[in-house]
Amino acid sequence: MTVDEQLVMHMMEPKNYGHMESADAFGFGKNPENGEKVVIYLRIGKDEDEPYIDDIKFQAIGCTTTVVAGSMLTEEAKELNLEGAKNLVNATLKLLDKLPPEDAACSEMVALAIAAAVETYEHRVSEPDYPAITYKIKSTCTPKEEEDESSND
Amino acid sequence: MKAVMIKVHEVWLETLMAAFMSNTNNKQTLFDFADIIFRHFTWIEDLLIKNGEEYSYDRDNVPIKVENLKVLLQDIDKRLNEINLQLISLEDKALSDRISSDIKYIRLILEKMHDEMISAFNMNRVMEGYALSKEATDALTLFLFEESYKEYELIMIYNYLKAHSQDAYMNRIFQILIDESMFHLKCFGDMQAKMGILATPRVVMKELYQVTDIVKFLKDGINEEILAKEECKRLSEAVAKDNETLAHFFDFINNQENYHIALMEDALNHYQEVNGIE
Repeated sequence: MTVDEQLVMHMMEPKNYGHMESADAFGFGKNPENGEKVVIYLRIGKDEDEPYIDDIKFQAIGCTTTVVAGSMLTEEAKELNLEGAKNLVNATLKLLDKLPPEDAACSEMVALAIAAAVETYEHRVSEPDYPAITYKIKSTCTPKEEEDESSND
Repeated sequence: MKAVMIKVHEVWLETLMAAFMSNTNNKQTLFDFADIIFRHFTWIEDLLIKNGEEYSYDRDNVPIKVENLKVLLQDIDKRLNEINLQLISLEDKALSDRISSDIKYIRLILEKMHDEMISAFNMNRVMEGYALSKEATDALTLFLFEESYKEYELIMIYNYLKAHSQDAYMNRIFQILIDESMFHLKCFGDMQAKMGILATPRVVMKELYQVTDIVKFLKDGINEEILAKEECKRLSEAVAKDNETLAHFFDFINNQENYHIALMEDALNHYQEVNGIE
């Protein structure tokens, strides 16, 4: 990861980090490879009956890169309507190929957690006890050369 | 009483951060006070366990960004005063008096401490006397954020395990690991402050410290320490060409991880033996 001032600011003061009491929905993104995970909490507001993300928080069992990705993506997701949040998730997933593997895995985990939380909310509109959805990432944290080395063993 | 524990947790971190920021003889006094307040935290936790009350290590974020140390010292003083007033809710009067007496003295000394200009948040990422390349600076920055949180996380995990274990052998090991992580956190926090990138560690998620499978936790922990060793080695190599002293420091931290691994293996063997686990 190239470290610039903006990244350092997200490391020093991650935006929206923490637990949310009485969230309207939450969802998980998990890395099955190493047990790392992200939970996204949502508070949904209504603007002329259109639901939007009034507040969003996240917590992570993961590395600094995950926290930076969580800080950035939750800032972008704030105040989006649910369609906008899904578009943000899709746009992030499309960019993963351009990122180094460890950064891609972290961003995917946060994006999928947002998708899981939004979809959990949508289910809860008709079924209030709908359980929190978990999505598992497809990216791997392992840099390519290490993968190649281990496959040669 | 749970509210008191949360406030003590927050003021412990704030005092520790104040110690990192200081560049004068205030520093050691603040470290000593942070250690005393951490002990208060563990005593209140013990009382909660004794009373069968559920609790967690959740807390609010602790804002520390100041330009003058005095501002933070005044906030610590205010928080300590609030804790002192709330100690009335503790049924254990001896404990309440003991903490109150410490608080009274700490507040007295804090009030007399001289002010300092703070440079721990200027984000210049330069350590005086250590000329590092951009690559080495970036590697060091990431390492410090990653590992300072990790050490805080380990302190909380080992503290929780120790609080919930009656096994003296295990508790001796947990206490050594807490002390080691405290030392590492102090080293890394000091470096973050010198580089202008000091930050309070984020809140640790419950499932990390409310360990249900000790054997799995210790096995995973041993693997994590091995990875941490690799990280130290990589960093030592990255900074070696720019600064020999810093490279020696990371070699030293790397070698300390060997001791942690040995302690965790010892704990694992003991736990499995005592509980008849193959």
